[in-house]
Amino acid sequence: MSVRNAMDVLVVGGGTFGTALASLLADNKRRVKIWVRRQEQAQEINTEHRNSRYLPDFELPQNLEAVIDMEQAIKSTPIVLMAIPSKSFRNVARQVGEHIEGDQILVHATKGIEIETFKRMSQILKEETCALKIGAISGPNLSKELMAGHPAGALIASRYEEVIRSTQALFRGSRMRLYGGRDVIGTEIGGAFKNIIALSAGMAAGLGMGDNTKALLITRGLSEMARLGVAMGADVFTFGGLAGIGDLMATCASPLSRNHQVGARLAKGENLEDILASTNQVAEGVPTTEAVHRRISAMKLDLPIANAVYARLYGGWTNEKVIEYLLGLSVGTELARLRF
Amino acid sequence: MKPKDKERVLVEVTQRVLDKWSADPETSEQALFDTLYFERQRLETEKDRRLARKQSAFYDEIQSKALHSGPTQHRDLLRRVIRFFADEVVGHFDERVYKLSTKAVPVGLDLLLNAMSPMKLFRRGFASLGSLDQQLVIEGHTESLQKVAKLGTTILVPTHSSNLDSILVGYMLYRLGLPPYTYGAGLNLFSNKLIGFFMHNLGAYKVDRRKKAPIYKDVLKSYAGCSIELGYHNLFFPGGTRSRSGKVEQKLKMGLMGEGLNAYIHNLRAGKDKPDVFVVPCTINYQLVLEAETLIDDHLKEVGKSRYIIEDDEFSKPKRILEFVSQLFTLESRIHLVISQPMDVFGNPVDDDGTSRDSRNRPVDRRRYVEINGEPAFDAQRDREYTRELANSIAHSFKKDTVVKPIHLISRTVLDWLLESNQDLDLYRLLRTGGAELSMPMTELYRRVERNLIKLHEMEQAKQLRLSRSMRTRDTAKVTSQALAHLKSYHRRPALERKGDRLFHIDRNLLLFYSNRMAHFDLTQQEV
Repeated sequence: MSVRNAMDVLVVGGGTFGTALASLLADNKRRVKIWVRRQEQAQEINTEHRNSRYLPDFELPQNLEAVIDMEQAIKSTPIVLMAIPSKSFRNVARQVGEHIEGDQILVHATKGIEIETFKRMSQILKEETCALKIGAISGPNLSKELMAGHPAGALIASRYEEVIRSTQALFRGSRMRLYGGRDVIGTEIGGAFKNIIALSAGMAAGLGMGDNTKALLITRGLSEMARLGVAMGADVFTFGGLAGIGDLMATCASPLSRNHQVGARLAKGENLEDILASTNQVAEGVPTTEAVHRRISAMKLDLPIANAVYARLYGGWTNEKVIEYLLGLSVGTELARLRF
Repeated sequence: MKPKDKERVLVEVTQRVLDKWSADPETSEQALFDTLYFERQRLETEKDRRLARKQSAFYDEIQSKALHSGPTQHRDLLRRVIRFFADEVVGHFDERVYKLSTKAVPVGLDLLLNAMSPMKLFRRGFASLGSLDQQLVIEGHTESLQKVAKLGTTILVPTHSSNLDSILVGYMLYRLGLPPYTYGAGLNLFSNKLIGFFMHNLGAYKVDRRKKAPIYKDVLKSYAGCSIELGYHNLFFPGGTRSRSGKVEQKLKMGLMGEGLNAYIHNLRAGKDKPDVFVVPCTINYQLVLEAETLIDDHLKEVGKSRYIIEDDEFSKPKRILEFVSQLFTLESRIHLVISQPMDVFGNPVDDDGTSRDSRNRPVDRRRYVEINGEPAFDAQRDREYTRELANSIAHSFKKDTVVKPIHLISRTVLDWLLESNQDLDLYRLLRTGGAELSMPMTELYRRVERNLIKLHEMEQAKQLRLSRSMRTRDTAKVTSQALAHLKSYHRRPALERKGDRLFHIDRNLLLFYSNRMAHFDLTQQEV
């Protein structure tokens, strides 16, 4: 329909990642709009080509247009791409649900899990909208590196071929290589769980530990991610790809990662509330740790790193106690619990 | 099917199946010879020798021509074979029978069920006809079904645990003032002449499950699809066969269900006035299941998985049907048929006025789901996923609208106790040996039943399931005695028997069968 083709994609969410994705697509000559909540932010993006709150060091593409009228924007596009923190995801999804229709594609790039329900973002989209053609993007995509134009890769997972094809087409020709996959559960669990491991890697870095420790956390974290994912119905091989080990490597190694930064500051003895209050960016690992902790108790899964991070964040454990706990665990066969 | 539609459907079905299997010469040649092979194998075991000779002659002719011809002729021969199958499927309809059915079915059913309780007829006279009304409880979204059936074509998708299901559904449709539904019934259901008569009248056509050729299955699917397009309401059992384990079906067959969506898209493309297709799940809930013993035995046997057609079960023995129906009346055992909320072919709930709703109850323009560049179009991969969404919604409705009865609760409670008391035994060994204790104290049973009843009531409040009337009373003793009366009657061996203050478990396979009806409900005890 002609109305649907007025633009190529609408990015919902003017935070760091939403702005980075929208910029990447605008640079790739796509007709892209970004929906933001505040009028001032829209004006700043449209007139000054900046998002001073989230990406102050970067100039945004001239052809990126910000809008605050969600209804009009959704009507004009075949694809809606949501990049909204998990905490407010359901509310914004419900607003999207007021306008979206069954022929449209709805993709999200949020790496989190809803605390109260342990629902994945695609499940929330299903509950809050009539959309069926739903997909999830995940991978090692640090926003500042995307803005700097460095090559990167990610996974678009959907049960619908059309979602995979259409989303890949948006990024074709850009510096983002978007691979396709069918395992939505694994993609979402990978994207969410890696933030917990990033918190632990940040703590290790903050305590002055070296690359050996980091590698230990990444590989054992991968094992925990796979155990949780498979228990929820994911394909174990997904965790060997961009949405699993790929994302873990980037997030755990890079000081640019928000979760890594939070972990490092915790290691220095800062209080969690103070850390969160001091930044306008969202560290998804913090709510995800709580969500996962609740769930794994019910599922009777043993995920020691996730447990230790939870105890450090919410259980009053000191850094020393976390180390003592993890090093005190008995050592079994490395892949024992991954032989399904 | 009306004569004017019959030829149209025959042509359409033949062409659709042919188009699918003749995309290139290799495919049509392969399909032709595969079909001949499957059919020859079937005919070797055909009991009706006259029919076997006739059909063999037909296939001999096709084979002889196929061996001496090229791609164009192969396509023509394939068309003949498809048409042969289509004639067989469609040919069983008779408009006169179809018209008669609304009158014949209810009277016939009452006669059938009452005739099996001759003492009752003798005592109460023929005035007792109609008592089926009391025996059958029809509840749920009955009005919604009636309303959407006027707005479009409906596909009724019930749970399936007995061959009596289709007869009861037929009766229910009559009671709701709906016409007979088109229904593909296995050949074995027609072997009993009386039942076969009703099957015909309920809109059933014969499905020969011994025919293994993929082309035959496509003919059946296409036939269902074409009949939906023409506005004939359909009945499918989405579990594919009777539930062997006793569980409420959660893994549903996608093939036939996808025909609803196909028909919807065909209708939209044809610009029909009433293009809509609505899917209506329905649960059929018995206390006693006629074929329980055979079904659970089949489930427990390793070979059970491959045994699709059972020809020697209780349904094929009139005496067993008689005993079963007699128990129904003696125990005043009600059968609940629950109609779920209608849904569209994408699994969205549908209002009485035919409007699809999302889970926030906002109206949904369902046509949009199948539009490509503004026009309704097919997309095989997308449509398979839509059908999977539909299957998920049906499975959810099945769970929500399952009626839990005393027999299920008591079976589950006793089996849970057995499993807890014999943790060193796996389920199958426990079923075989019975474990360490031959009986459990009644006080222990009551304690556990009371606890489970509380949990079930909470689940009913949360609309996760339904409870039968006796379960709602929360009267532990009454619920227990009703269940025990059922469990010690009808079946050849009692499942449970009370002696004094102890309850003896005798046929544990039956316990498993009846407890499995609750297998998907978490009572915070070990699930089976």
